[in-house]
Amino acid sequence: MSDGGNPPAGRVTTVPEVHLALPATPEFVRLARVTATGLASRAGFSIDEVEDLRLAIDELCFTLIGTKGREGRLELRYRLDGSALEVHGSLDSPDTDVPHLSDWSDQILDALVDEHEVGRTSGADGNGVRGFRMLKRAG
Amino acid sequence: MPVDPERRAELRGQFEEFARARDPGVRDGLIEAHIGLAEYLARRFGNRGEPLDDLVQVASIGLVKAVDRFDPERAVEFSTYATHTIVGELKRHFRDKGWAVRAPRRMQELYLRIGKIVSTASQELGRSPTVAEIAKEAEVTEEEVLEALEAGQAYRFASLDSPGGGGGDDDEGEGMAAQLGQDEPGLADAERRATMDPLLATLPEREQMILRLRFYDDLTQSEIAERLGISQMHVSRLLSRSLAKLRNQADTAGG
Repeated sequence: MSDGGNPPAGRVTTVPEVHLALPATPEFVRLARVTATGLASRAGFSIDEVEDLRLAIDELCFTLIGTKGREGRLELRYRLDGSALEVHGSLDSPDTDVPHLSDWSDQILDALVDEHEVGRTSGADGNGVRGFRMLKRAG
Repeated sequence: MPVDPERRAELRGQFEEFARARDPGVRDGLIEAHIGLAEYLARRFGNRGEPLDDLVQVASIGLVKAVDRFDPERAVEFSTYATHTIVGELKRHFRDKGWAVRAPRRMQELYLRIGKIVSTASQELGRSPTVAEIAKEAEVTEEEVLEALEAGQAYRFASLDSPGGGGGDDDEGEGMAAQLGQDEPGLADAERRATMDPLLATLPEREQMILRLRFYDDLTQSEIAERLGISQMHVSRLLSRSLAKLRNQADTAGG
């Protein structure tokens, strides 16, 4: 059986959290996926769950950056809490249009992850910050 | 490749006869007469990490299609027409296994090995195996397993360059559709389906079906694989490809 990916008791207990800042272009989405699956495998995700996670990260990242990419950066924060992986993504870009999650993407994400949202909030500098949040649990 | 004019005229006569009567014997003769062309083209695609025998098989499928579809009334030589069809078939083969031209050989092999491990382990465990379990079985690190999965996806950007939709030549998909029978509606969410279906309709049958099974009927990738008699990793590749195509379309449609 699986011995899980969690460190044995008595070791460092900081919740694994990883930050990644990438150019907001398609060729870097791979790194967003690899980081997610690397953490997911530590959390004991099954291969089906890992594959779903990959699709979800693709869908969410491309929702923010578009299929051709944008100026600016895509920032991702991954947080592993027990058997749950939470990912926050935000786009720091001079482009001003709001990301639009199609009904179709919404339905896809419903099937792929446990929680997801995409939206726009006000950043510190007054610019709109476009972002997403998703959560997927193992098992 | 027959060059001698007499032989050429003879073959032309056979094509006309086959176009009229569709006689299987004549068909076999025509295929046989041009098998050299298929082999020649298959060799041209050699040295890309695929066994030559496989390529000859693929090229032969292209040749059979060419013989079946060739219209002798048209003012084009069969060899020209067949070259086009066979090269198309070979390109499609590489496109479908797009990783073959991009991923390092070691990763291709690992990817294939993982595919087998996933099938066996899923049966033994009655659930989808974890990355750790796969890594242990394959005697590689978890990172290598994940890297191989990525390699399996490397075809993605290549496939976006090719014309979307896949056209009407997706015989495998049609066969699978027939094998599955009619696809019954899963969720009763008729309104939502009405929005999605026109989008889906632009994809090849097989990809549409897999998307429906995954996102309407909520089957897991392993369940879909079992139902369609293909590997889970093949399901995964098709899903990523379809979703990428749909995104691309939504984008060009100005979404």
